[in-house]
Amino acid sequence: MNADIADKNTIDRNLLDVTQSHQVAEFKHEIALTTLRVDPTDRFVAAGAEDPDVQLWELASSERRTLKGHKSWVRSIDFSADGNRMFTACWGGIVNVWDTSQSEPKPLRTIHAHKGAARFVRVSPDGQQLATCGNDLRVKVWNIGDGKIVHEFSGHERHVYGVSFHPDGTHLVSQDLMGGINVWDLQSGKHKQSIDGSVMTGYDKKFAADMGGSRDLQFKADGSQWASAGITKVTNSFAGVQDPIVVLFDWTTGKEIKQIKSDDNNVKGIAWGVRFHPDNFVITAVADRSGKGELWFYRPEEEKAFHTMKLPSAARGLDLLSDNLRVAVAHADGHARIYRMTAKRPADTTTPAKAAPETAK
Amino acid sequence: MRRNQGCNPLEHEMARRRFLTSTVAGAAGIGLVDTHAQADQLKHQQKRILQVFLQGGVSQLESWDPKPGTVHGGPFQAIPTSVPGIHISELLPNIAQRMHLLSIVRSINIKINDHEQGRQFMEKGRRVGQFPYVGAVASKYLATPNSNLPGYVHVSSRGLSDVAGGAAFLGAKHGQLKLEGIKPPGNLSAPAGIDAVADASRDKLRLQFNQRFADRRSKAMTEAYDASYDQAAGLMERRAMFEGTASKKDLERYGTHDFGRYCLLARTLLENGAACVKVTHHGYDSHAENFNFHLEQLGEFDRPFCMLLDDLETRGMLESTLVVIYSEFGRTPKVNVRYGRDHWGTAWSIALGGCGIQPGAVIGSTNETGTEVADREVDASHLFHTYLQAVGLDSTAEHDLPGRSIPIGDPATESIQELLV
Repeated sequence: MNADIADKNTIDRNLLDVTQSHQVAEFKHEIALTTLRVDPTDRFVAAGAEDPDVQLWELASSERRTLKGHKSWVRSIDFSADGNRMFTACWGGIVNVWDTSQSEPKPLRTIHAHKGAARFVRVSPDGQQLATCGNDLRVKVWNIGDGKIVHEFSGHERHVYGVSFHPDGTHLVSQDLMGGINVWDLQSGKHKQSIDGSVMTGYDKKFAADMGGSRDLQFKADGSQWASAGITKVTNSFAGVQDPIVVLFDWTTGKEIKQIKSDDNNVKGIAWGVRFHPDNFVITAVADRSGKGELWFYRPEEEKAFHTMKLPSAARGLDLLSDNLRVAVAHADGHARIYRMTAKRPADTTTPAKAAPETAK
Repeated sequence: MRRNQGCNPLEHEMARRRFLTSTVAGAAGIGLVDTHAQADQLKHQQKRILQVFLQGGVSQLESWDPKPGTVHGGPFQAIPTSVPGIHISELLPNIAQRMHLLSIVRSINIKINDHEQGRQFMEKGRRVGQFPYVGAVASKYLATPNSNLPGYVHVSSRGLSDVAGGAAFLGAKHGQLKLEGIKPPGNLSAPAGIDAVADASRDKLRLQFNQRFADRRSKAMTEAYDASYDQAAGLMERRAMFEGTASKKDLERYGTHDFGRYCLLARTLLENGAACVKVTHHGYDSHAENFNFHLEQLGEFDRPFCMLLDDLETRGMLESTLVVIYSEFGRTPKVNVRYGRDHWGTAWSIALGGCGIQPGAVIGSTNETGTEVADREVDASHLFHTYLQAVGLDSTAEHDLPGRSIPIGDPATESIQELLV
């Protein structure tokens, strides 16, 4: 199963209590992280950073491996369903394929995916293909087996920030800097639909520049919706003054369903991560311009967050573990932290670079 | 009674002549150009300056001094250029192909991290005091006397406060005329119902009033009025240059966005005798999202600038046009929590080329991580001397003003000699 599609059957609602979320583990890198992904088997947390390496931690032991094979910062990561393959996309336009079972993984395959940055990589639900997008304005689909291109979609007029497969595997959704959203039909190989996501971009008049783009993009497990994380209401984006936002879109109509924004309007920054939780709420990871972060917990039918969790450092990536009780967050202070959405247990003490024992998987 | 100004205008003119290292330009300065041959020679040798100001402080690491793979290097790569051994950021692919026309100074330390102070230093070559900008100096000493364009023109999308247009004691005539993009200055057209004959009569009357007014006042005061009027009149005659003269082919090459059009206007202004044209490209003060913004901004800057550079070269103007790409400072090597880089005057770069500049050179260097100047430290005063000497002016001479003489460049520093041809 693709990690983008959470499995509702595994949730233990007796334990889940978002309001008591707390940190249970942290993994330290020396440099600010840029993104993060947990493999679908919950064995690994992988993170990119403001250096060319990939940090790969084993959740159970905290053992860290540093993977070298990129020449630029890694922006996006995904895993195969069994966690044995990892796919990383970097600002240099390269997508690397890794074997996570190797003690010192080297790239199994290097795909020169995009001219300019490769901003996003996602594995197809059947595990056979990769979708990537980047600064060459292209959305591409690759055959994982031989690294050959299957589809190349053009139509975006500005840098393409995010892409994701629909859970049924028949379509892709991509979003660019200006909030232009395209739906691509993988069976016909053609553009299917254009959707207006311009609420997620802004023109900074003072500096005469655009800012926007999807910083994370995820489908709900049943395919009925997708969520895109980013910014809105640009005021002074050169100083980081804009509002973080997550927009939920309806798959059938392509219409916007809901905008998730800060309750008190005091948070200015970027939403870097979004996940649908199977208990019918949405988790958003935010970086405030102050350098702090927040996790927002919203139910789609409610106007305000039912819980907000302050984070010690700006969030730059978010993932949900398969037990649906823990989330992993990439932080600007170089740490990947695991937060458990339950009441504290005696074992939940966090020491730097060590994970608390976790038995609820 | 006229105030005693201490010396007569002829002495001023003779003092001015000393600044002009070009014989023909010197002759022009005292009004001795009286043959077509000399006029043609003057036109051919006229020196001028093109300033491209990347407002807000372009990141040296994302432009002229990339350090990929280092702790502060950022996500972008360095690419080779047309000069073997010189690499610049991948964000400037078109400039990379033309690096043989430009040089880089990588060792600037102005010790200033404030926008306004940094800008003033970069324009005046002095840290403090009321001194004229480079463009005003160019206007005074390089502008041809028969030009009906202001000597110093600034094309920008929004205003920057410049006291007296940066002219300081050189007088209003040499202050910058600010153009809001490609729009002509306001009120260039004669009022409705005023035809050419009526306009000539009006002007005759104006001149009579001016003469009476001038008889009772200092020359400096009346010069400012006359200069403003003459500039406006000249611009009225040249109004067409603002009104969509760009060809379809030009727009395809330069782009239809604002900066492309500004570069096209700059080309026209330079061709028509402006001594200094400054074009501002906004949007480099990237305290957040530095990398995405530099992608956008330098992506917009790179091609139109190169089209302008190409046109100057192919039209035979580059050897007489100093081209400077600069900011008020650079940006911090350290990336902040917002993916931003902050103000950094400690170790940064500019690029320049054309008239009087050794092409394909790199002056100075920073250390491995870009946090300090490692070699050949210079500041804005060195650059000021270098600019003026590149266009044939002796920056170590003095402005000869009524009752006083003021060094043109900072007497405590000198030009970057190895950069000059």
